[in-house]
Amino acid sequence: MAEGGSRLIPAAHQAPLPLDRLLVPVGAPGAGDRMDLDVVVVGAGPAGLSLAIELARLSKQAGRELAIGVLEKAGALGEHCLSGAVVNPRAFRDLFTEDETALPFRSPVTRESVYLLTAGRALRLPRPPSMRNRGNVIASVCEIVRWLGAKAENLGVNIFTGYPAQSLLVRDNTVAGVRTTPAGLDRDGKPGSGYTASTDLVARVTALAEGSRGMLARAWLEWQRIGSTNPQIYALGVKELWETKRPLDRIVHTLGWPLSRDTFGGSFMYPLEPNLVALGLVVGLDYPDAGLDIQVLFQRMKLHPLFREYLEGGEMLEWGAKTIPEGGYYSVPARRSGSGVVLLGDAAGFVDVPSLKGIHYAMQSGVFAARAIFQALGRDAADAERLAEYDRLVNSSFIMHDLHRTRNMRLAFKRGFVMGGVQAGLMTLTGGRVPGNRITVEADAAVPRAAKPSGESFMPDGKLTFSKVDAVFKSGNATRDTIPQHVVVGNAVDQRVARFYSHVCPAGVYEVDGSGLRVNAPNCVDCKATDVLGPTWLPREGGSGPKYKRM
Amino acid sequence: MKVAVCIKRVPDTETRVKVTSDGKTLDESGVKFVINPYDEFAVEEALRRREQAGAGEVVILSLGPQAAQETIRTALAMGADRGVLLQADRIPFDGMTVARALAAELATGGYDLILFGKLAIDDYNQQAPVIVAELLGLPCVTAVTRLDIHGRNGVAEREVEGGVEVVEFPLPAVLSVDKGLNEPRYPALKGIMAAKKKPLEVKPVSFAVADVEVLSLTPPPERKQGRIVGEGPEAVAKLVQLLREEAKVL
Amino acid sequence: MSGVLAVLEQRDGGLRKVSFEVTSAARRIADVRTAPVEALLLASGAVSEADQVGRFGADRVVTLTHTAFARYAPEAAARVIAECVKSEAHDVVILPASAMGKDLAPRVAAKLGVPLVADVTDLAVENGAVVAVRPVYAGKALLKVKVTRKPAVLSLRPNVFTPLEQRRKAEVRTAAIELPEGAGRVVVRELKAAAAGAIDVAEAPVVISGGRGLKEPANFKLLEDLARAFGGRAAVGASRAVVDAGWRPHADQVGQTGKTVSPPLYIAVGISGAIQHLAGMRTSKVIVAINKDKDAPIFKVADYGIVGDLFEILPRMTEEIKKIYG
Repeated sequence: MAEGGSRLIPAAHQAPLPLDRLLVPVGAPGAGDRMDLDVVVVGAGPAGLSLAIELARLSKQAGRELAIGVLEKAGALGEHCLSGAVVNPRAFRDLFTEDETALPFRSPVTRESVYLLTAGRALRLPRPPSMRNRGNVIASVCEIVRWLGAKAENLGVNIFTGYPAQSLLVRDNTVAGVRTTPAGLDRDGKPGSGYTASTDLVARVTALAEGSRGMLARAWLEWQRIGSTNPQIYALGVKELWETKRPLDRIVHTLGWPLSRDTFGGSFMYPLEPNLVALGLVVGLDYPDAGLDIQVLFQRMKLHPLFREYLEGGEMLEWGAKTIPEGGYYSVPARRSGSGVVLLGDAAGFVDVPSLKGIHYAMQSGVFAARAIFQALGRDAADAERLAEYDRLVNSSFIMHDLHRTRNMRLAFKRGFVMGGVQAGLMTLTGGRVPGNRITVEADAAVPRAAKPSGESFMPDGKLTFSKVDAVFKSGNATRDTIPQHVVVGNAVDQRVARFYSHVCPAGVYEVDGSGLRVNAPNCVDCKATDVLGPTWLPREGGSGPKYKRM
Repeated sequence: MKVAVCIKRVPDTETRVKVTSDGKTLDESGVKFVINPYDEFAVEEALRRREQAGAGEVVILSLGPQAAQETIRTALAMGADRGVLLQADRIPFDGMTVARALAAELATGGYDLILFGKLAIDDYNQQAPVIVAELLGLPCVTAVTRLDIHGRNGVAEREVEGGVEVVEFPLPAVLSVDKGLNEPRYPALKGIMAAKKKPLEVKPVSFAVADVEVLSLTPPPERKQGRIVGEGPEAVAKLVQLLREEAKVL
Repeated sequence: MSGVLAVLEQRDGGLRKVSFEVTSAARRIADVRTAPVEALLLASGAVSEADQVGRFGADRVVTLTHTAFARYAPEAAARVIAECVKSEAHDVVILPASAMGKDLAPRVAAKLGVPLVADVTDLAVENGAVVAVRPVYAGKALLKVKVTRKPAVLSLRPNVFTPLEQRRKAEVRTAAIELPEGAGRVVVRELKAAAAGAIDVAEAPVVISGGRGLKEPANFKLLEDLARAFGGRAAVGASRAVVDAGWRPHADQVGQTGKTVSPPLYIAVGISGAIQHLAGMRTSKVIVAINKDKDAPIFKVADYGIVGDLFEILPRMTEEIKKIYG
């Protein structure tokens, strides 16, 4: 793709997905051991664990034990999970009979405020209908996941933490399982002391619940040539958890500053406890300014009086980052099931941007998948036809109904803040009917960017604002320094592109060094932002990356 | 070769230390608990000794709350055979009391080796292995960084200031091990599955009043505000003088 | 003579510095109750400087000799010390928490059937009982405890107590002893000295670490020169950035994913002070920072700092340090 003038097109520098590595024939050499299961789930997040729980229940009820394994790349449950979060509890109420007080929620939403920020002020806005959170609860997705994990283990599900999946095992057009990453490789990729080879998990059904920008999900879709009406687009969220001196009594959302009109996004601030506050900034990755640095923007944002009054004198406990799929209805793949495989949750794009909700869709998708899988395995046929029942269940459920209603909401903002606002308003009033036809978008990496003249460089104060290196420390990341580099840099990455990457990555993985790119791979917190706009992310040995506790 | 390994469930090294309102204990909210890192080397060593001998048993023993069962399962997933949890909600600070509880359980085991990690990263007491050995009348070598066993004789190395001590001892013995003795193995997937089915006995224990009373747990004093002594090489003489006379480190 | 027993440490016939710290601490306790301080040393022969211990507050210095004590003899040493405590009815015993002491102190306590309070950084007497402070949770908190049993057995963290000169007329005694039960089952056969100059970063009393500010790997020579000027007491450490760049080995890395050090003196040269580095040296007794950026975060943790060009400052420092250590 030719580059125009001084505009940078990220896609021109990206390497393609290495399908030859991501799709491996069953029985191919390279694994040290093999395990056979009925169902393998990739990702112990809300979607994967809900599937495991429902499936274990169904099989127990029917007296047909199923061997279910859930692979999780983090060293312990929840450590790679990050969200706001204000959760719609309906999926919990459907899955569990526990009393509300026994569910992993912090508190119900009582008050909420929305503000339009300028550099110095906060203008209270009337709450948009899509943001009514009465009946919803504030929670930490890490706590939800640990709670679900305990339920799953009690039902006999095997949860394997510290085991990332690096390839799909395939046989003809069928997915037959996954292969895990090896551990103990040294910087050159050679086995060091403590080397552990990959393991093949061969299963009748593989459920891909890898979360946002799931690598194997994308590989499968590309391989099977399954498209979506629009390409998937993403936002990057950076978040901190603070212990504050001043209590917060409401959930807060903001628009406007520090984002300019051509950049989509906003911030959130939620009290897990009155003095335990989660706050973050979410920005669409289609921004036009090549020098935009979301982590720096977030740090600056905290100096705004609205946030500062809560954070002053407090302590930052944790920091983290993660991408969110924002394409909505039109970016969901045409089908999310196939021979031997299903796609769940964020990996399938089940996120509603206007209401900022994804956790209950993820859980519900896991439940639907479990039911379809159970039926299919009962008939001893995990083929595409049988597993298509999963798609039918999702399509006729509130998941797709909700996404359809807000199908153009985020996309409208691609035409700018004001136009977007008007269209969003119309959509809400008409329940999605106006404007009704699809708004086409391009992939984030195809959006050209130009470097605006940069303002003064940002000096963190170490009290309210932090450098990328310090932020990574607070993510709990203590990845082995000698780990091999896991990101694949594409082509023609000159100083200009290197600088762009250094701004995209909130964790300081990329730096401009002399005339080229310097990669500090151990810093990576697996957010996938640069996977969307730059070097390809591949999994590394289990337990690497962040260790979120209450994010 | 029959080996017992004593392990401890401890707060992760990255734990932010907050004290509860009683002023004496760690606030556990938001704290992640792990197997004491030094104990992993002990578990690994036990597994290697059993493998080398061709036959035997590796038993994991822990003194801790109910949740320590999970910690024992981690060791079982690495390959140990069975576990015993001496269950108590609060572990006393007193190393003698802890050692007595462990020794009572270990006494009848007929172990060739009883292994510990060198120290626990919460209390840094570094006593349990030695006191257990004394109570059981067994020889003990601490902080082992290298180990060779031939029949009923062992040779261990341990780091001391400026060098390495080479120590000989007979079996059966109690050893505490240091980082670098080996490279602990990753629990294999099959190991994680098998661990769930391995026997894990839970025995409640209680303690007599401790002889060491905790008065307080406090954050360390704030470092006094430092100062820039000067600029450039001219400031060096002043710095050196301060280090000598004020800080007294030269 | 019931009082406070200070257990000293010698190696190859020379008294180790920590012995003076232990004696001073014993003196502090003894003074509260006007009790005497007995210093006890186990060796294979006369130990140089044993008579100096009176300078630090000992009333009596006893050296017990046996060939077995040419090296550390864990079981015999514990037995002899415990017997000494019992026969003299000492009610407080203080040992150094050195490598030897960490092994010996719990043995002594176990033989006496009492608890050990280990790695103490402060001690006092309150209402007749010994109260000690010790770091826990990797130095992130201090635990204060009271010992209610007698004798109270404690081990002292080295390099924390400043030996206090307090001239005393100490009675000095040396006696050869028998070991009827033998030297013990655990035998220290040999002490392999570390290679000359290869003092480990985690052991050195002085650590001088370099970061990216040094610009090139060859410039670490400036730190090595300074380390040499300290006469064998100093080790050269490195920040993660320079280890990642391949300038220094990982064994020298100080920080969250490297080594944690707590020396009496830590000098950070050309290091900005990211939290993951601070995590590895924050509990050092005295921190000195040299950096050309006056806003570098390292200056917030340093006790003393010099802002300026390290290429000019380091050679001057080396000169000044040479004058002191000769």
